[in-house]
Amino acid sequence: MTTMISAEATVTRVRRDLTLSTMLKVLIIGGALVVFLMRNTMGSVHLLILALLGLAWIVLSYRSALGSRLAADSQSLIAAGHYEAAEEQIEQVLGAFSLFRTSKLLGIHQLAVLRHAQKRWSDAAVLCRALLGRRLGPIKGVNKQCRLMLADAMLELGDARAAHEALTGLYTQRLTLAEAINLLGVQADFQARSGNWAELFAGIESKVQLAELMPAAMAARTQAMLALAAKKSGREDWASWLTRRTELLADVQELCTRRPIVWELWAVENVNARDSAETSS
Amino acid sequence: MRVGLFWYAAGFFMLIVMISAYLSSTSTAMANVMQAFSLFMMFCVVVSMGLLTFAMARRQQAEAQQLLAAEELIQLRRWGEAGMLLEGMLSVPMRAPQHRIQALIYLSTVLARYHRFGDAIVVQEYLLEHVRLDPGTEHGLRLGRVMSMLREDHLVDAHRAMSELRRGDNERQSPGLALLDLYRDVKNGHPQEAIDIFEERLPSLRDALGHRVGDAYYLAAKAYDMLGRDLEAQRAYERATLLAPLAELQRRYPEAASMSEKYSPVMAPAA
Repeated sequence: MTTMISAEATVTRVRRDLTLSTMLKVLIIGGALVVFLMRNTMGSVHLLILALLGLAWIVLSYRSALGSRLAADSQSLIAAGHYEAAEEQIEQVLGAFSLFRTSKLLGIHQLAVLRHAQKRWSDAAVLCRALLGRRLGPIKGVNKQCRLMLADAMLELGDARAAHEALTGLYTQRLTLAEAINLLGVQADFQARSGNWAELFAGIESKVQLAELMPAAMAARTQAMLALAAKKSGREDWASWLTRRTELLADVQELCTRRPIVWELWAVENVNARDSAETSS
Repeated sequence: MRVGLFWYAAGFFMLIVMISAYLSSTSTAMANVMQAFSLFMMFCVVVSMGLLTFAMARRQQAEAQQLLAAEELIQLRRWGEAGMLLEGMLSVPMRAPQHRIQALIYLSTVLARYHRFGDAIVVQEYLLEHVRLDPGTEHGLRLGRVMSMLREDHLVDAHRAMSELRRGDNERQSPGLALLDLYRDVKNGHPQEAIDIFEERLPSLRDALGHRVGDAYYLAAKAYDMLGRDLEAQRAYERATLLAPLAELQRRYPEAASMSEKYSPVMAPAA
């Protein structure tokens, strides 16, 4: 059994490691520069020192590249549900020294993905916030995924305002289809909680098309929210159709326990009305 | 071509070295000039190597983006555009081998969509024989190949391939394989077996397939219909058409298309 890495401790350790690696980089580059400038006084020794500094740089770069590779590989383990193996791999990444920021930041990102998959919302939020607060450089692509995870985690923790703040940064960015699908899931949840029914119902057809591409649980949740928006907007036809779809995709009891707002769809009078509409059709 | 260029470049480099050595030996002034020139050339080589690496990385990135676009087009069922894009990508050598493999996997999906199952099988078998894939991808590809075999009526081959899948699938109890079992039983005229699988595996099919569980309802409707259990067939048919467009279901399982004359689908509301 692997011990779970603490989110706060990870953030602190990575911050310290990043400072250390920056200092080391400055030391190597500065050292090389000084040795080069003093080459006349040092004689042929300067070549040896330069070679050693170069070797140190190459070895540390190689170790950093290995760390980045390990961090990227943990993604497939998380996707396959092998959380313990992923945890071990991420721990290796975060525990090893890296000359470059990328592998450490990727390690934090993968840990956030893992915690999000494990439904450990507060840990996921801490890690996403730590990542978003840093300059991501070559891995700036993870910014969008991080925002989506943060928004989702905040919604799960009941903080709609923080979720909205996380989502705001996404509206100006170009999203991939997978990101757009995730955004719809989180956005529907947020708009339902804030009672923004008209906006949630707007563009229903394309939203339903995107929801069809989601995994079962998320598709059910999103379509339940859309059904509620349709009901509030006076579109009983859409509400009934989406509610029936939801019933086929998830356990209604479980869905309502996780999102009590959608109970309304299965209130006795609604079920009776839907049944009579189906019978007459 | 590349080998030829390499030897030309090596010969040119040797020529430069010999000329510079000769010129350096003629006088001290010339030696200084050659040293400065060599330094400049070295700088040029380093810069051009950097630029070349940058350009190659950009091209590889563009290739990855094209691949992502192909995946999205397939997900959105924009098959024509996906096919054109993949044809364009695969007509020229690709920079990363893994991109080429992924493009071939997508190509097999597009070929199956256009009912070119024979071609799809060729691509799938090539990938399974020549490429080392991760277990999940390999499993998915094998499922796709069995589906193509069933559609081509290669029933013996399909049966053998399904047995192989089942042997390697003890732990996973893959819902994809359950769907194939369902289809095979409907196709072979064993409706009761199909219904047994459907009723036993429905929760796992629902969780794993999402909206594609509509396929299972559609096949179950056909099985109920074959047994004359019309009420249950109508209910399963409604559920199938609630989750997926009827045209798409008929395209995937033409054997069950005749049900449209007997049962009423559920239509999506107008916007």
